[in-house]
Amino acid sequence: MMQLRTIHRILSVLILILFSFSCASDLDYNQVNDIKLQPVIISNLAYFDVEANQFVTGGVEQNVIFDAPTVDVFSEKFFTEKLNRIDLFFEINNTINRSYRIDLVFLDRNNQPVHSSNFFVPAYSGAENIVTKTETFQNASLDLLKRTIKITFRLTMLAGPPLSESSVGNLKLRSGVTAYFVVE
Amino acid sequence: MRKIILIFALFLTIGCFSQNKQILYNFTSVPQSLLTNPGSDVKYNWYFGIPLLSGISTNVGSSGFSAYDLFADNGVDFNVKLRNVVFSTTRKDRMAINEQIELFNGGFKIAGEQGDSYVSFGMYQEFDFMSYVPKDIAILVLDGNRDYLGKVFNLGDLNLKAEMLSVFHLGFHKKINEKLILGARGKIYSSIYNVNSTNNSGYIYTIPSTQGVYEQMIYSDLQFNTSGVAKYDDEDYDPNVVKDITKRAFLGGNLGLGFDAGLTYYPKKNIQFTASVIDLGFIKHTNEVESLTFKGTYKYEGVIPKFSSGNSAEDGFQEFKDAVPLDTLYADYTTWRPTKLNTSIQFSFEEEVSEDCNCLNYDPETTYKSAVGAQLFIMSTPRTPLVAFTTYYRRKIFNSLQMKATYTIDSYSYKNIGLGLSSMLGPVNFYILADNLLEYRDVTKANSLSFQLGLNVIFKDSKK
Repeated sequence: MMQLRTIHRILSVLILILFSFSCASDLDYNQVNDIKLQPVIISNLAYFDVEANQFVTGGVEQNVIFDAPTVDVFSEKFFTEKLNRIDLFFEINNTINRSYRIDLVFLDRNNQPVHSSNFFVPAYSGAENIVTKTETFQNASLDLLKRTIKITFRLTMLAGPPLSESSVGNLKLRSGVTAYFVVE
Repeated sequence: MRKIILIFALFLTIGCFSQNKQILYNFTSVPQSLLTNPGSDVKYNWYFGIPLLSGISTNVGSSGFSAYDLFADNGVDFNVKLRNVVFSTTRKDRMAINEQIELFNGGFKIAGEQGDSYVSFGMYQEFDFMSYVPKDIAILVLDGNRDYLGKVFNLGDLNLKAEMLSVFHLGFHKKINEKLILGARGKIYSSIYNVNSTNNSGYIYTIPSTQGVYEQMIYSDLQFNTSGVAKYDDEDYDPNVVKDITKRAFLGGNLGLGFDAGLTYYPKKNIQFTASVIDLGFIKHTNEVESLTFKGTYKYEGVIPKFSSGNSAEDGFQEFKDAVPLDTLYADYTTWRPTKLNTSIQFSFEEEVSEDCNCLNYDPETTYKSAVGAQLFIMSTPRTPLVAFTTYYRRKIFNSLQMKATYTIDSYSYKNIGLGLSSMLGPVNFYILADNLLEYRDVTKANSLSFQLGLNVIFKDSKK
């Protein structure tokens, strides 16, 4: 019996020591509710590379070329709900000896314009000929932009030395989007 | 009380999955040591565990960060703490929980002429969770890709599994001769549910391009397997979780087979060598199986007007969804149990001299009061195996009180000190084993904690 009591005592003292030296800092799991994610995503928006001879058909200059591709990214709820700001970046590089006007019109589902980006591109004269522009959308302008389902691209060639089917040079556009999300 | 709740909450919220039972291993005065080596040199006549109380074991761990790092109530913005945790960990860091409760357990000796044999059997419930830190995915979610031009985000960082199962086991061991004991145990696993996503690969990158602003590519080979959870997703289903779990626990779940083997060998009287392999087995998931896959390759170039006749139909997002579709499969799959290897070597000293007639616990063999030894533990994981090295000191304090103190080095910690006590009060055996004792100074800052405790009734030979 002596031994049992001793064992009991040793065990209880050990457990007591463990827990009296043990400690737990205050933890607050509700902090999870404070979570705020702010990822910034970059991606391509658009790209084209038009050769000089595409402005000439059968020896006749085409002063306006046009396309209206569908853009479904802005209308994806998953992307747009948490969107806080969008930057659109454009870079146009012209190596054709003519000046251009480039009009991008962002259209909603009713074909109503929600935004347009316009560029004047000077004719190429041997030196680097790059036009850049960054547009920022927030709040009301962002809400409008989110309705985009189609972008029309209209390239208008302005007056200048005539082009033939053997003319050289390109008109290139590169465009990227930077999307700022806030997830709370 | 508050402390106990906190400790409990910690066990539930963070994940050690080492499943390394370094204190229990070869601690033969505790019958549950047979579960870590079916060839353990146990000396009881028969024993049974007090149902539900014979073996309770919990193991939680997180290499890289602790609950305190994330949830400390210290006025620091949670988002700052989250960022610090994500950026201070690596894809090799993991969180894990392992929990086992024995429903019943027992064993008895069969005396033989050439040597005694031993039968042990039982059933336990086990829960396993393990996840590596999905570092690259976490960075994408936190920061996006703008500041990481050129970085290849590894989608294979997603690596996790969770499983609840019950295990029925029957073990047999035989003393081949004075020096050698061999043991084996067969197991039937009945999986209650399983979630696993461990064979993922893929990447996302964005680099500057001359055509378009960026070259942006996703290659994804992700698969997420589940069994036994799909129907809870169905809104029309009125779940009866208790009934489901009970049914599946008693062989109504997805079944598997497993095998343990082990030995104890005495090259000399006071030198002991042991080795075991535990849970060499698999579970075949065929019932209520549902897998999600996200597989494909897609290069996103943005909108490209063609300026040919008619409007170009560019559906970037739709194209992406077609190229990397999210599919649901209902195919069977097989999971392998985490296999554990244990081995130890022990030197015993302080030969015990009976002062009086030890009639109750008479043992014709030489017994030693003290022993020192070393153990090596290796466990398979979805990536590199986990390795832990332990040195220990074992001491019989009284006939009815045994102690084992351990020092363990593993990837969670290099200062893991553990202590186990096993007492015999009459035929009642009570044991409590806990490791990472230094971490009890502040359990919230612990990277890993484990304990095992239980109650058994043991009868030793008394006829001789």
